[in-house]
Amino acid sequence: MAQFLLETVWLVPLYALIGGLLAIPWSPGIIRKTGPRPAGYVNLIMTFLALVHSAIALQATWSHPPQEVFLPWLSTAGLDLTIAIEISSISVGAMVVITGLNFLAQIFAIGYMEMDWGLGRFYSLLGLFEAGLCALVLCNNLFFSYVILEILTLGTYLLVGLWFSQPLVVSGARDAFLTKRVGDLFLLMGVLGLWPLAGTWNYPELAQWAQTANVDPTIITLVGLALVAGPMGKCAQFPLHLWLDEAMEGPMPSTILRNSVVVASGAWVLIKLQPVLTLSPVVSSFIVAIGAVTAIGGSLIAIAQIDVKRCLSYSVSAYMGLVFIAVGARQDEAALLLVLTHAVSAALLVMSTGGIIWNSITQDVTQLGGLWSRRPISGLAFIVGTLGLIGFPPLGGFWALLKLADGLWGTHPWLVGIVIAVNALTAFSLVREFGLIFGGKAKQMTERSPEVHWPMVLPMMILFGFVLHLPLILQALSLLPDWAILNKDVVLLLIWSTIFGCSISSVIYLSNIIPKPIRLPWKGLQDLLAYDFYTPNLYRITIIFSVAQLSKFADMIDRFVVDGIVNFVGLFSLLGGEGLKYSTSGQTQFYALTVLLGVGVLGAWVTWPFWGFQFLDLMF
Amino acid sequence: MQLRYFLLLAAALFCIGIYGLITSRNAVRVLMSIELLLNAVNLNLMAFSNYLDSTLIKGQVFTVFVITVAAAEAAVGLAIVLAIYRNRDTVDMEQFNLLKW
Repeated sequence: MAQFLLETVWLVPLYALIGGLLAIPWSPGIIRKTGPRPAGYVNLIMTFLALVHSAIALQATWSHPPQEVFLPWLSTAGLDLTIAIEISSISVGAMVVITGLNFLAQIFAIGYMEMDWGLGRFYSLLGLFEAGLCALVLCNNLFFSYVILEILTLGTYLLVGLWFSQPLVVSGARDAFLTKRVGDLFLLMGVLGLWPLAGTWNYPELAQWAQTANVDPTIITLVGLALVAGPMGKCAQFPLHLWLDEAMEGPMPSTILRNSVVVASGAWVLIKLQPVLTLSPVVSSFIVAIGAVTAIGGSLIAIAQIDVKRCLSYSVSAYMGLVFIAVGARQDEAALLLVLTHAVSAALLVMSTGGIIWNSITQDVTQLGGLWSRRPISGLAFIVGTLGLIGFPPLGGFWALLKLADGLWGTHPWLVGIVIAVNALTAFSLVREFGLIFGGKAKQMTERSPEVHWPMVLPMMILFGFVLHLPLILQALSLLPDWAILNKDVVLLLIWSTIFGCSISSVIYLSNIIPKPIRLPWKGLQDLLAYDFYTPNLYRITIIFSVAQLSKFADMIDRFVVDGIVNFVGLFSLLGGEGLKYSTSGQTQFYALTVLLGVGVLGAWVTWPFWGFQFLDLMF
Repeated sequence: MQLRYFLLLAAALFCIGIYGLITSRNAVRVLMSIELLLNAVNLNLMAFSNYLDSTLIKGQVFTVFVITVAAAEAAVGLAIVLAIYRNRDTVDMEQFNLLKW
């Protein structure tokens, strides 16, 4: 049975896709009478099936070598596009995480979207996302990874734009689509540039090729940079990070999915491409630099936000930056571990704050407060999510960060400093959020804030337990770094940075020593971080401005030059007719003159050989 | 006497006729110019008949036909002029420019 399920594990994406399709009939325009809720239930059932299937398959595939399955898709002259599927413990494990998180997010959405009529659309898009992500982790071919990434980009556009009657949603969905699309298009250039070099798009063959490849360093650098640009946009890395901020306009349950797994889709491709990318030291340094800048910048920005969803979204960017650093420094396993621990912890954080927003309406942390005594479950979930994300010893994030820092210690000591700093800053920002939401006195918006009902608490609690058990699971699977060979200095540094960040933040935000709202001595710096380094303005004066000006210029060229030339032909004909009609003068004598002139010229032309040369001699 | 002088004279007469045909404002004078043209043609026919075909003199036969047809044509032409004159009370060619653009 388990073996059969393992062999058919490639059906898992189809469950979610079928669930998504089955949700469509409950759109308000089709089933008009009974309400949209069955859409959610159908999707839950399908996702549960997918979860059970992949979980049993994971057991069967554990400690077995990876298998490859090939499904022919298209074969034309000289190009054989075969869908390669990898069934390994990593890919099936990733599917368990995806389906599990999606299952929890869908239960959460049953509660959160209670008063919404758009469940059909919402759940069909969640199904699409689940299918796309499962297909992405199964897919062992760069080309089809790209195909799936593009489908997911379209899915992001539709899902962020769920409540399209809000103007900020429309602009957010637009930015999310275009920013990710630009990255994807660069990725396409890289994918196409890789073909003539490697002759294959299958990841294992690419890795084999990369071991012995001897290519022009400039070419492989350019191809590598293009390949990095796709994940850069997907993972919301600087400078393609604004979309994640604006995507927070979308519904909360999809944010759970986005913050935990969707942004990791880019990281997944990046990890798979790591052998190719490390062919060029420039690309490796570029990945590390982008990751480092985003990690530091994102965690600084997260501290300065007042919108609770955006606080979390910048932390996501920062952690994806750490994944970039890990990939750039060839720490694949650390990157995968980081993606896993970040996914569960970030999902728990978003669920907790989602419940808070559902009952307190405002997302502004300065208007929240004093919820700890009345919302202990959400508060505990937030604490555990925080501790699971930062380097707090027994929990998952600690091990991932430790593995990363330990791996970097020997090769890039200064990157360890960045990891430590990001850990401290994230600890600071998460404790700040906790202090502002749960600590202090109740504000007007949180005067009466009951705990949410069970469909939102249940997934939160399941995930809560999962985050707590993650280290045990990792230990059982012997994925934790060996304590004996670890560098104790790194451990201490990590723990100290956590304690440092948490305690400073607690002192500032959980006590009344410093009056709130806090003003930095330099208002410019505070605004700079709060407004995300003024990235929208930066986009507006660089890319958007130049593209807009170019478009206007091209439009003018089209209107005046191209259209003008063609219109001139017509106008010329028109004026020719208008002008030449005066040759019909109405004077018979003029006609006679014309006839005579015609006859004369024709006669002269016909008889030219008989007199022309003598005439010319005479004249000249 | 040579053929070419006849031909040159006929050509000169033809050109005079053309000039008259194109520049006259009086419709009758236009008809008169046409007669000049026909006479120039007759001169040509007679000259060719005399110098090149003096036995069969087909040119002279042609000339007789041309004179005949010219007479008929002049009659019809004058009738047309008369008809226009009845309507428009003038024979000025520059007043007859109704059928323009």
